[in-house]
Amino acid sequence: MPKLKIDGLEIEVERGTKVIEAAARLGIIIPRFCFHPGLGPVGACRVCAVKFEEGPVKGVQMSCMTDAQDGMVVSTTDEEAADFRKHVIEWLMMNHPHDCPVCDEGGHCLLQDLTVAGGHGIRRYLGKKRTYNDQYLGVFVQHEMNRCIQCWRCRRFYQEFAGYRDLGALQIAHHTYFGRATDGQLESPFSGNIIDICPTGVYTDKPSRFTGRRWDFERGPSLCIHCSLGCHIITSARYREMTRLEARFSESVNGYFICDRGRYGFYYTNHPERPRRARIRTEEVSLDQAIQTAAQKIIQINQKNGPKAIACLGSARSCVENQAMLIRFCRVQGWNEPTYFETPTMAKKVKRAVARLDEQLAVSMREIEKADFILAVGADPVNEAPMLALAMRQAFRNEATIVVIDPRPVFLPFEFEHLPVAPDDLEPCLTALIKGAVHRSAAEKMGEEALRFYDTAPAEYPDAPIKNRMVKITQKLRQSRYPVIICGTSIVRETTPDVAADSALLLRAARGRAGLFYLMSEANTFGAALLSSEEGSVMDVVESIEKGSVKGLMLVESDPFRSFPDYERLKQAVDKLDLFLVMDYLPSFAARLAHLFFPTQTLFEMETSFVNQEGRVQFATSAYRGGIPISQISAGGHPLRVFRRDIPGGESQPAWQILAKLANIISLPGREMFSLSKNELWSWIAKEYPIFANVPIADELPDDVRVHLAQGREKLFPSGGQIRSGGLSRENSTLELVMGDWTFGTEELSTYSKYLQQVEKEPCLFMSPKDASMLGLKDRERITLPLDKGRLEMELRIVDTMAPGVIVMPKHRQLAWQKIEKWPVKVAMGQIRK
Amino acid sequence: MLSEELLEPLQKRIAETDHPRELVVDIMLALQNHHGYLSDQAVEEAARLLDMTPLEIEELATFYDFIYREPVGRFVIHVCDGVVCWMNGYDSVLNHLFKKLGIKPGETTEDGFFTILPTACIGYCDLSPAMLINGRAYGPLTPEKIDGILDRLRSEAPPPRMAR
Ligand code: SF4
Ligand code: SF4
Ligand code: FES
Repeated sequence: MPKLKIDGLEIEVERGTKVIEAAARLGIIIPRFCFHPGLGPVGACRVCAVKFEEGPVKGVQMSCMTDAQDGMVVSTTDEEAADFRKHVIEWLMMNHPHDCPVCDEGGHCLLQDLTVAGGHGIRRYLGKKRTYNDQYLGVFVQHEMNRCIQCWRCRRFYQEFAGYRDLGALQIAHHTYFGRATDGQLESPFSGNIIDICPTGVYTDKPSRFTGRRWDFERGPSLCIHCSLGCHIITSARYREMTRLEARFSESVNGYFICDRGRYGFYYTNHPERPRRARIRTEEVSLDQAIQTAAQKIIQINQKNGPKAIACLGSARSCVENQAMLIRFCRVQGWNEPTYFETPTMAKKVKRAVARLDEQLAVSMREIEKADFILAVGADPVNEAPMLALAMRQAFRNEATIVVIDPRPVFLPFEFEHLPVAPDDLEPCLTALIKGAVHRSAAEKMGEEALRFYDTAPAEYPDAPIKNRMVKITQKLRQSRYPVIICGTSIVRETTPDVAADSALLLRAARGRAGLFYLMSEANTFGAALLSSEEGSVMDVVESIEKGSVKGLMLVESDPFRSFPDYERLKQAVDKLDLFLVMDYLPSFAARLAHLFFPTQTLFEMETSFVNQEGRVQFATSAYRGGIPISQISAGGHPLRVFRRDIPGGESQPAWQILAKLANIISLPGREMFSLSKNELWSWIAKEYPIFANVPIADELPDDVRVHLAQGREKLFPSGGQIRSGGLSRENSTLELVMGDWTFGTEELSTYSKYLQQVEKEPCLFMSPKDASMLGLKDRERITLPLDKGRLEMELRIVDTMAPGVIVMPKHRQLAWQKIEKWPVKVAMGQIRK
Repeated sequence: MLSEELLEPLQKRIAETDHPRELVVDIMLALQNHHGYLSDQAVEEAARLLDMTPLEIEELATFYDFIYREPVGRFVIHVCDGVVCWMNGYDSVLNHLFKKLGIKPGETTEDGFFTILPTACIGYCDLSPAMLINGRAYGPLTPEKIDGILDRLRSEAPPPRMAR
């Protein structure tokens, strides 16, 4: 490893490290505009010049383009180098409009910092400046091209890193223009990152434009909870309002970037209709009063109908603390444990995935970038977990082969092999590929169970063209050094998570190394699966209400009206209840129906933790103390001139604290009392769930910790002999309805964002050309889709990138799709009409 | 819309190429020859033909001096703007052209015959000061020579389709 000296300090770095990075490790930040650690070097701006005094390179050179080598002696403070940098900045500033006072970047602008730091204080150039026309780039990004210094970061991120193709570099030389071919919404769901990386104010955050300088904001580290990946973010809040989100670097999860769903999804926390007061029916009351009333009602029901007469639903968007306290609450009261999953199938799938993920197989998102073969089963990354698509793209840029087995019209921003097969064919296709690439002897060495899995797993592709296509790919997998299996949990069969894990084990045995990466539906699905011991589902609860055995229902940050397949049935069940208690921060449908409502805090208002789909416990600090945004109280004018002790609208509390207070009132004498200390709650968690034992509970933001159940306790290869062969259930007269996610419009929290609502696409039904021609339907026709409990009308899109025998529809906010008796849904072919 | 006549050979060439993108300059030139310049419509057409986005075409179209994104005259005069021509009288060539044609760089004469575009070195240092008109190199240039060339071109060519 090369050893060099920078400003008198010695450092040893891995071969291939650039001098600019070596210096950064010593804490010496060499000026840079074009270099970005997430994008690598390009040498476009010349501002990173340093003096090489001794060693293989001599003189003033670019530190971002020079590999650290043995014997180098580098000076960043050398006079000649400093003078060079000063002039680079001066020429980059030549055409700059000097409009910092009206520029939203001012205060966190790299160009501003370096202009001052570099010593270019006085403008000498008096000529005319080159100017540009700005473009309309859509809802998120404001464009002001005159400020550009041609560092190329935006284009390199947009096209090379992320793989989208509608923003780039136009013109030439000092006319170079960064923008689109024509005005219009940026097409990439990662577009907001150009705001973070542009070193000047060309791209600024449009929704939060002119709301403050960086030092005006309360800023803090937090987490994105708009999908199961849990990307790291930085929050900015001002005037009791969450104002802006930026990406926060994470070595293991998201690297330097986040997606636009994450960046602009947070507006639910400022939602003007967010319920901020406790309510008894429609009457607003104090939180304490509501708790007292709730306690009385609960005691009544418990006395009359017994402890099992009240059911609880939690949710996978709730933090660990809320989920754990709800379970603790139910246990102490002797109630049934809360339910976190819509259907028993979903509960089983997630629990199997959580059970199978162990320390050796689990890979982080950043590790996926290093895979040379990625096999995704039942996963639609851009729509389900956007940043995963970018991790896969980095693997693709390193020449990985990428295969996606999924019935939906999956799009990824790079070339990949798509096997669009029906849900029943997912497992057979996966095992066919694995058996093609792994020799039987590898399974034999792993023991009887492995061999049984190998021998009984079907190896069949649904048709000959796919089979032929897979020959070359199987060959690639056979030679792979680091294959990773990505397995979704939404549209796959109950057994698929196990099949994926068993396949990964075989691959590891054959190739020496392999990874496994599950996708889950929500930010804390993993936490819910770890904590809850019940296999119950919302469906069971509804049945119990119908039977009359459940009289009271408590929802903790859960809105089953969104996700339960049969809206009418759920509504009737809720109408029957003696007590319907809702705790939430969303103006949800359930919240409106509640007999008793309790306002809870959002992630941005509390110290909390979530477990991402990889089993990584991650922590977030509170961004601000909550309350009604001043802009909403004063309607643009001066805030009220009155003194008060409390925060207006600041009654919301963490759901777990409300639960603790409630428990302490209803608990019979002698039962355990709950404390309101988070540390006490965490010690309970650690005691009840030993895998959480080494999770640090510090006041400072602790580091992430991975928690995995398996650790050798889990039976391996349980899916041996269980995998049904595909095609058996294939009938020609019905189409299976697959419901999926879209980047914008389906994820619960982000659908409350007024900015994301503007970029949502209209929901539509996807159908394969084969089925469409059999039905005589045309692209973009409006069609009627009959479901068990009613019909849906929408536009038909015919796409040749999806499986025949299947129709695909998003669980879209704008679609009242909850007319389904039970999954899976098969629709008789002839019934889909114009 | 493009005629079949124009499209077919292009599509054939594209089909025969492993990486159709390699043909992007040829396709842009073919469409430019057809439309007289690379119109917005032509950018869209090129994108469709090559499975690229309009932005990707635009990036290249605006990079190259010989792709015209605006209407040009029948004859496009690329005056060499390279170091050797600078030394050998580039300024006087350019000034003479301005005076004679009554236009500035990037402009087209009223009658639609000539456009002047100074261009980074055209590689005819042996003929410097030099210029390129519709692909043909002229030089070493003097005011008299320029007059002769332009007069001849104007008299021999049919009048432009669209005078501006
Ligand atoms: S727009 Fe910003 S990121 Fe893009 S080249 Fe200009 S200064 Fe760099
Ligand atoms: S990928 Fe998921 S966690 Fe990451 S920023 Fe996007 S929505 Fe948030
Ligand atoms: S940072 Fe090195 S040249 Fe731009």
